[in-house]
Amino acid sequence: MLIVDLAPLLCGALLAVTGAAKLLGRRTAQVAANTVLVRVLGDGHRAVAALRAVGAAETAVAAALLAEPTATWPGAATAVLGAGFTGYLAYARVTAPESSCGCSARDEGPIGVRSFLRAALVLAGGVLSTVAGTAWWARAAGEPGWSALTAAVAAGAVAALSTDLDRVWLPWRRLRLRLFGTPLPGARGMAPVEASVELLERSLAWQASAPIVRSALLDHWDDDGWRVLRFAGVYEGGRRARPVSVLFALDRTATVDSTPHPAVRVSVVDDRTEKPVPVDLLELSGLREPLPLV
Amino acid sequence: MTNRQDPSARGLDRRRFLTTAALGGATIVGASALGGLDPDAAFAAPTPSLDPAIARSAFAEGRITAIKGSVLEVAGSYGDHHLIQLTNATSVWKLRTTTAEAINVGDGLYARGVDMPDGTIAADAVWVNIVNLLCTVRGIAKDRLHLAHGGAGHAVVGRIVPQTTTASYLGGALTSDLTRVRIGQSAQVLGAWRPEDDTIDIARITVGH
Repeated sequence: MLIVDLAPLLCGALLAVTGAAKLLGRRTAQVAANTVLVRVLGDGHRAVAALRAVGAAETAVAAALLAEPTATWPGAATAVLGAGFTGYLAYARVTAPESSCGCSARDEGPIGVRSFLRAALVLAGGVLSTVAGTAWWARAAGEPGWSALTAAVAAGAVAALSTDLDRVWLPWRRLRLRLFGTPLPGARGMAPVEASVELLERSLAWQASAPIVRSALLDHWDDDGWRVLRFAGVYEGGRRARPVSVLFALDRTATVDSTPHPAVRVSVVDDRTEKPVPVDLLELSGLREPLPLV
Repeated sequence: MTNRQDPSARGLDRRRFLTTAALGGATIVGASALGGLDPDAAFAAPTPSLDPAIARSAFAEGRITAIKGSVLEVAGSYGDHHLIQLTNATSVWKLRTTTAEAINVGDGLYARGVDMPDGTIAADAVWVNIVNLLCTVRGIAKDRLHLAHGGAGHAVVGRIVPQTTTASYLGGALTSDLTRVRIGQSAQVLGAWRPEDDTIDIARITVGH
């Protein structure tokens, strides 16, 4: 079969690239620091050495695969590498799921399905390589068209499994959005509650009632054009502190864009007696004395 | 007392009562109520701390290990333990303003409250699974955004929740219009982490900030 005979070439090329990146890459130390190897081996320097050693092994196996495609042992060595990667990923996934796999030395994403598929690909490639009967150069010379197609498909599969190539897809995604428009939902009628809260929190009313309000937004509802926002608070005026509800009522269509300085109705209701508590917010907060009315 | 205990008819009655209170004898605080027409003048006066509760506040964070009645047992990230007492007056945020029923064991939590003599923290406000990430938008689908977070570009899936997800563009007001989010934009994403599938429900996405 064509794929069997080309397996040494494809695996060799893949391992040569990933191995060289680990062995010679300038960022290997940085990558190693995020892998589970650091914890297993005790310190970062050993993790870097281990990652470079794996890179050297990959490069050596790649050279053997490319030079001796019909021999059994380079394929077996590849399969062992693939099995080792799978085991390492499984171990890292179980013990430190947030760690990076360090697989291709540029890829620093956490271990996911794609990492496992890549390792499985190496394992499968190794197994296929052990039964290769014809040297890949002879086979490729015999069937150049089919060989090129197989190589292209394999390269595509590896690329799809590589998070390194995400940026390649970006222009395509952008183009798709430009052609077909964004799939995201557009504006719905009213201002969202978060917009009312944002408006409130930038308002003078919020500053003035800051000494009373303790909780974040507790409840909200719309009533007759008003949006009522309820917060819990503690009012310490009078004889003793008492739990209160602080109610803010705003125009429900107002946002910081349409109404930068909103008028907000503020009232404080005693939670036990359910009676409004007269509170002079401006004096309480010390913001400013209101001007006398004439 | 609150809709936490009686989400049905009584909750609505109470809302109606509170609406009357809110609109009846309310103080109207706006620029004109201060007498001055320039609200900046008000800020020129010495202002108190925006959150006076801060000085007396206790703060706790961690993962919820058990829920016993209205007490949450929380294992902190630094090996500490907290008991968080929820009350009628505790606000609960989990993607949106919600009630204590929405809290599950395994959720992450930030709580602000007051230290009680028995060692618990009586919570004023609780934020469940809240995350705030600076991301780059890498892909847009109908119900989710693909995001890359941090220098290494960790892939994060941000779910768009109908009726809840809002966006802010160029420092403008929050809006339910998400159509102006573009691929390649840098975005601040505030949302709720979902422990079950390690994605994020987006509460608010801020772009062009």
